[in-house]
Amino acid sequence: MNSDSVTTEQETKALHLLRLREVSFSYLDGVETLQNIHLDLAPGEFHCLIGRSGCGKTSLLKLAAGLLLPKNGEVVWNNKPLDAPQSEMGFVFQSPTLLEWLDVLDNVLLPVALHRKITTPDLDKAKDLLQSVGLGNKLHNKPTELSGGQQSRVAIARALITGPRILFMDEPFASLDAITREELQRDLMTICAQHKTSILFVTHDIGEAVYLGDQVSVMVEGKIHHTLKIDLPQPRHNAIRHSPEFNHYSASLRHAMGGAA
Amino acid sequence: MKSKSYVWTCCIGVVFLLSWEILVRYLGTSALVMPAPTQIADVLLKSLHNGYLWPHIWQTLVEVFWGILLGGLMGCIGGIALGESSRLRNLLMPYVVLSQVVPKLALAPLFIVWFGFGVLPTIVMTALICFFPLLENTVTSMQQVDPQKLELFRMLRANRWQTLWRLKIPSGLPSIMAGLRVAVVLAWVGAVVGEFIGSSKGLGALIIAAQGSMDTPLMFAVLVVITVLGISSYWTVQTIEQRFFKS
Repeated sequence: MNSDSVTTEQETKALHLLRLREVSFSYLDGVETLQNIHLDLAPGEFHCLIGRSGCGKTSLLKLAAGLLLPKNGEVVWNNKPLDAPQSEMGFVFQSPTLLEWLDVLDNVLLPVALHRKITTPDLDKAKDLLQSVGLGNKLHNKPTELSGGQQSRVAIARALITGPRILFMDEPFASLDAITREELQRDLMTICAQHKTSILFVTHDIGEAVYLGDQVSVMVEGKIHHTLKIDLPQPRHNAIRHSPEFNHYSASLRHAMGGAA
Repeated sequence: MKSKSYVWTCCIGVVFLLSWEILVRYLGTSALVMPAPTQIADVLLKSLHNGYLWPHIWQTLVEVFWGILLGGLMGCIGGIALGESSRLRNLLMPYVVLSQVVPKLALAPLFIVWFGFGVLPTIVMTALICFFPLLENTVTSMQQVDPQKLELFRMLRANRWQTLWRLKIPSGLPSIMAGLRVAVVLAWVGAVVGEFIGSSKGLGALIIAAQGSMDTPLMFAVLVVITVLGISSYWTVQTIEQRFFKS
């Protein structure tokens, strides 16, 4: 009985890489941006946060990453309270935020270069990552010589170089054209499945959330309105975007976001 | 298109010089008042050839070099310190602005009292003039770093020094270099005016000497030298910027 309960507790802990409990947050103006947030993220899970502009998605993402600290409640990372970003986390911002004075390879290696000397395995890993996002021939280009889609790919490769257990993504494809976005969504799913990376992904695009997410949380005015489990088969192909199930999930999310279904 | 506009720029210069030459000859103006360009060129070439100008050019170059180096370094370091610490900025910025509002050229006689005649007061004056553009541009560039890039560095657990060396300074370099370009041009003003007042050697001192002996063509010749050196130093900074700092 006793050993059973210990096992169950360990299993529960293993189930949750990141937990947010009763989290609320307000900026200096005092208005509560987030209220009573509960969120769990299991290893390898792709969790999308969706909502209208200004609903607090990005604030929630930054809280989960340790870039902001909650006013109330707690953020638990790996069973410990989180008070700052951790080495096992990666973050992809809305804009690629590449350093223009470094070439593509050095941009990808930046997270490593900040903490230790670059080794040959690091270089090989960076080259492999760039190869896997289709930029194997752009290693020594400057970011200004790349298209928007290519810059986003470099930003993803940079976030993955340290082999993070979790990736936070803040509308990383929002400014890209539809076809490039679809390509990047597919690449992201493949890479993260390979590395078993958990992802917390903020978007305002319903289709993107349904296509990418294992779970989608709808945010309305600083609260998680409800969370929907997306039971679509893996791996997901583009054709799935036209299936009745996909449309059903999309309509359900649209309804939850407050629009007319 | 670019080469075409370059030709036109040259044409304007040639037309200006020709008109000047013709007008002076036609009106028979005394060289004491307005020498013709050919007279100026003649004096310039002769004084370069017989070595009369070189010690003066060297003296002014040395003063400009040390003035830019000291003033620029202090401006940069001060700018980084003030840019990094808002407390220091609030505390010291009013005094920095105050020190710049005081006309520095009017301080020259005081510098002579403090530092004597010669190179030192001129270097101090040049350094003071170069200090402000670099300080101002460095402070501004430190504060204008993309907030998302700062967040990226926080996410990557970079410490304050790493954020400064790997993000703030590189991203501020274009603005810092723009400050240096302004400083380099102003440095010549500082050096020449410093020499007007407190030196017997250097291009500024030579202008005063030429004025004393009513040698107007020599005054013009020295002005040409200062202009050429000023433009060359500006181009040098621009070339360094394009060669090393442009991404």
